Amino acid sequence: MNSPTGQDSLEAEALEDTATIVRLYAVTDGRTRARHHLSLHTVLGPGRRPPRPGLSEESARIVELCGQRHRPLAELAGVLALPVTAVSVLVSDLIDAQALALPIPDRRSAGSDLQLLQAISAGLRRRHPNATAKAG
Amino acid sequence: MTQFPPPANRAIAKLVIAGGFGVGKTTAIGSVSDITPLRTEEVLTTQSTATDSLHGIEDKTTTTVACDYGRVGWDDPDPVELYLFGTPGQPRFWSFWHDLCEGALGAVVLADTRRLESSFPAADFFEQRRLPFVIAINRFPGTETRTLPEIREAFDVDEQVPLMFCDARNADSVAGVLLTLVQHITRITSAHSTLLDA
Repeated sequence: MNSPTGQDSLEAEALEDTATIVRLYAVTDGRTRARHHLSLHTVLGPGRRPPRPGLSEESARIVELCGQRHRPLAELAGVLALPVTAVSVLVSDLIDAQALALPIPDRRSAGSDLQLLQAISAGLRRRHPNATAKAG
Repeated sequence: MTQFPPPANRAIAKLVIAGGFGVGKTTAIGSVSDITPLRTEEVLTTQSTATDSLHGIEDKTTTTVACDYGRVGWDDPDPVELYLFGTPGQPRFWSFWHDLCEGALGAVVLADTRRLESSFPAADFFEQRRLPFVIAINRFPGTETRTLPEIREAFDVDEQVPLMFCDARNADSVAGVLLTLVQHITRITSAHSTLLDA
């Protein structure tokens, strides 16, 4: 998709885009803006209330996925094969209905970065004992 | 009922893997990810140009841009959940690149010696954004390889930026690239906090 070679691929790309956009509007009743600011890596978990009956198939699936484990927005969009914008709109509704919650604050607080970096190094080394870092 | 307990105690970290089309970003993510990499799509709206009015209804053009997503998590020695985002080839859509890099600790620029230049925009982007990055050259079997000094000269990046060969299909090799990146970020972060403490 990054190297269109001619009109055919451009048209195919345009059709593919159109299909994605149709899916976007179909699941959000035409809304393209989420009420909450959510990033691709915003983590979501189960909320305090059970989802109300009559939830759309997509929203019910989101609640189910986040009940299994915490997942970031990008993962939900990938599993549902829906545009991130669409999933943001649905997730915002579910947060407002307390069927979903934001369980972990974004972890970029000052002073914790070095500990986090050490934890990543240690974990990667344990999982991949044969991996070697190049001396910089 | 819950099969996988929510890893609520895991610290979240985000790394970005960028590079030109077909350099092996998805392969690299898949080599270390706990899940099969997922394709995540975003719809972007831009002002229409005169040449793109085939569907001529809107005055804006809507395009989709996709990224790869994978994750790897562990609880020993310290609980961490590492998110890996693979970015599309060219930073044509700057807003999407900024979203992708938001909250990221650092980035890997993946490149292929046969078309190094396709990965230059990624390196330029991270340099301008001051996001720590390393450059990893994915070795494709049977292709002539340039030497690392030649590649460094072509990229024209700061000599502090680590540069190495890797095999995107090999988990240990990709983990080595990530380790190199994390050490590089650690050096930059430590130097920064030393300056602040002084």
